[in-house]
Amino acid sequence: MKSFYIRSKVVDSVAVIYPKGHLDAHNVERFEKEIVRFIENNQFFIVINCKELNYISSAGMGIIMGYLDEIREKGGDIKLCSVSERVYEIFDLVGFTEIYDFVEDEKVAIEKFTN
Amino acid sequence: MFSKKPELSISIPSRTELLKMVVDLADHIATLNQFPPAECRKIALAVDEAITNVIKHSYRNDLDKDIKLEFYTSSEGLKVKLLFAGVPPVLEKVGVNLNKMIKEKKKGGLGVELMRRIMDSVVYDTSKNINTCEMIKWKKKRSAV
Repeated sequence: MKSFYIRSKVVDSVAVIYPKGHLDAHNVERFEKEIVRFIENNQFFIVINCKELNYISSAGMGIIMGYLDEIREKGGDIKLCSVSERVYEIFDLVGFTEIYDFVEDEKVAIEKFTN
Repeated sequence: MFSKKPELSISIPSRTELLKMVVDLADHIATLNQFPPAECRKIALAVDEAITNVIKHSYRNDLDKDIKLEFYTSSEGLKVKLLFAGVPPVLEKVGVNLNKMIKEKKKGGLGVELMRRIMDSVVYDTSKNINTCEMIKWKKKRSAV
């Protein structure tokens, strides 16, 4: 049984990625491919909706970190939304909560890009 | 203090698909040792990071190597010890600068920092071609002697 799933969609020119389950070094390649796919399509407004993400290790956080500069250089950003308390704790451990924009839900995240 | 014999000892092949199993195991052992749930999850993450580092850096993603994992419990805390061969780990002594890592487009380097922030002690050692990573988490903060 798979422990990690990923899907995505584009809403008002904002790419929304939905990681689901357990994101660790074993699954990280699929997560990275999804982010790279949007960058290659010149979509630099990216929301990661963490509503169904139960776990993230440094492998997943490394991908969010590794592309941020390129995305910001091109006028975009990565915003994280709907993060559960247990996943937020992990982001907070390494200081992600001071660098990334964490918002309550997807609608607010998209509006921050489009307004 | 911890007993000389581990409470639990398992050997696993160096495969990332087993990481979730190990995370669940470490969380369970920490729970049995009466750590609060949030601490159990963090300890499990530290174990994930330690094993991921062994697979990526010491075994260079070779799937046919072994990692021995030992858990030592006591009323005061939990000790997790990894024993592995391969390339001895080389660790940076200073903490991470997240802004610098983002500028340098780095994707790695957070794992050991997480281990250090979660656990009270993280010690790597190499002796007779066997590497060890020993991590300790105390239930109560110990004052410096």
